[in-house]
Amino acid sequence: MKQTASILSVYAADTSGACSALYELGGMSVIHDASGCNSTYTTHDEPRWYHQDSMVFLTGLTEADAILGNDEKLVGDLVQTAMELRPRFIALCGSPVPMMVGTDYDALAIEVRLKTGIPCFGIHSDGMHSYLHGASQAFLHVCEEFCETSVPRNQNTCNILGLTPLDFSTNGSVQKLRNILERNGFRVIAPLGMDCTLEEVSQMGSASVNLVVSHAGLATAQWFQERFGIPWVAGVPVGTEFSRQVLMSMQSSAQTGKCAVPCAETRHDAAQDAPLVVGEAIFAGSLAAALETETGAPVRILCPLEHDASLLRKTDSTTEDEDEIAALFTTATGVVADPLYRPVCPATVPFHPLPHEAYSGRCYRHLIPDLIGTPIAPLLAAKENVECFVLTK
Amino acid sequence: MLKMAFYGKGGIGKSTTVSNLAAVFAEQGLRVMQIGCDPKADSTVNLHGGTRIQTVLDLVRDKNDNFSLDEMMHIGYRGIACVEAGGPVPGLGCAGRGIIAALEKLQKKGAYESYRPDIVLYDVLGDVVCGGFSMPMHKGYADKVFILTSGENMSIHAAANIAMAVDHFRARGYATLGGFILNRRDVPNEDAKVEELADDFHSRIIGRIPRSRVIQEAEPLYQTVIQAFPESDAAACYRTLAKSILATFQEETC
Repeated sequence: MKQTASILSVYAADTSGACSALYELGGMSVIHDASGCNSTYTTHDEPRWYHQDSMVFLTGLTEADAILGNDEKLVGDLVQTAMELRPRFIALCGSPVPMMVGTDYDALAIEVRLKTGIPCFGIHSDGMHSYLHGASQAFLHVCEEFCETSVPRNQNTCNILGLTPLDFSTNGSVQKLRNILERNGFRVIAPLGMDCTLEEVSQMGSASVNLVVSHAGLATAQWFQERFGIPWVAGVPVGTEFSRQVLMSMQSSAQTGKCAVPCAETRHDAAQDAPLVVGEAIFAGSLAAALETETGAPVRILCPLEHDASLLRKTDSTTEDEDEIAALFTTATGVVADPLYRPVCPATVPFHPLPHEAYSGRCYRHLIPDLIGTPIAPLLAAKENVECFVLTK
Repeated sequence: MLKMAFYGKGGIGKSTTVSNLAAVFAEQGLRVMQIGCDPKADSTVNLHGGTRIQTVLDLVRDKNDNFSLDEMMHIGYRGIACVEAGGPVPGLGCAGRGIIAALEKLQKKGAYESYRPDIVLYDVLGDVVCGGFSMPMHKGYADKVFILTSGENMSIHAAANIAMAVDHFRARGYATLGGFILNRRDVPNEDAKVEELADDFHSRIIGRIPRSRVIQEAEPLYQTVIQAFPESDAAACYRTLAKSILATFQEETC
């Protein structure tokens, strides 16, 4: 059955991605929805919810409001709340029902901005795209709004683009990422999305290079390239040798101004029976690249999420279809994927669980490893140490 | 690129008027795109000899997102790019949402950047009944709205509703009201009634189309008056209207 997943899970939705991207920046994220989007986000997709405050709200859209096009009530609620809480910005995020009735988030944002004097923007989320779609828009809006345009370029500096706990959890990997960059001569101006403030965002235009660590950061990187001439490098410094390659790419890009995609360019096309890494294009591609450098054998990736063709090798796969994913698994000599993929992996194919917060939420959060700068090959040697759901007849 | 949307009560003659305007602009050497925003998908029928063209929503139904811009646009009379949004199965689905989806697909597939029209005409179904049918007024789509009406009370009532919607959306940066087009039905006090309507909205009548047998005779030929009877008074009237419409855009830049 095409477009039907009877066994597999789905990735976190775009509303979660948007709220996650904006969580630490002092703004007010408002999901225009009846309910459900917010509890899914706060319960399953946001590990910071219980120990770090953030203004995340739901509009409580009713059937009557949707049918009657009661936008004035929404604008009134947004204005009243914003005047009380004085957020640094307001993000109005869409959901399926407003999408169906044609709610114009950009127009509503203009009205709210005019009435409050607070920067306000609409996020075109609809619950039908992945977290990357929402986070990507959110990052871009924040940079367009708050980056100062006349900042001098600083040598040996960088931003990190595309960070959310949905890809990096809260296991210390962001701090380690920052450490590895600074140890190698790059001062981090803004790790946009995690451990980052709006004041840091305002200085992002002074970086000499941007490191893009997920597809959610790509549109923002391209904006910085067009607006400020800052080149970008796509890759996550996982593994020891591949980390070195990412850092070398950053140094080279900072000097030449040319962008680089080590997560795809350092890999070779892989045979159909090569091991398969499943996940977000840049993270999975980086894992595959690190595995290839450590084992000498090319690795394929399966990216069932929004992606850019330039981030992939032509032998990689992008299907979202459950049957096609199951068929891909049968030809692989090993699969590295979130534990919730285990039920469609044949028993004869070694399965190496790597929990991904955007896929299994909090289920395996405590088992998500920090892979920054550490060897990856042991992943393939690891026994199945995560309890997986296995289908029984 | 000048982008304009035409609204008015069902049956008032929007598609006939819009197609004739498209033909006038095309004969002036402009690149024209006409987008029918009506599930009946008959806006552009007189621009391509009455042939049924595949709608955007037909393509979505058959191919999901796997279709090209060329499949959505059909080149008709004098190179006019004809697009029909189409709609759901009659009695099912949501026609308004269909219009949104079709217009978003056009934008996503780069219709405006690739074809680079000088003039884009949105021919929108009847009244602004829901969020879907206001989509052509949204920022990034039409810059001006023109409302067709006769002097009949029901038509004036519909026109007033549309004008109120345009006024209501002013703070959102949507399309502004370009003016009213009087499509005569020859009812008593017709001009005075429509002039009063225009005054109520601080606007004016920018064109008056007479009731004409020539317009009716062009229809069974599946041609515009401009194509079938280019020397007729009705054709001259459409040319005058086209000139007035272009003037409303120039007024804004002056």
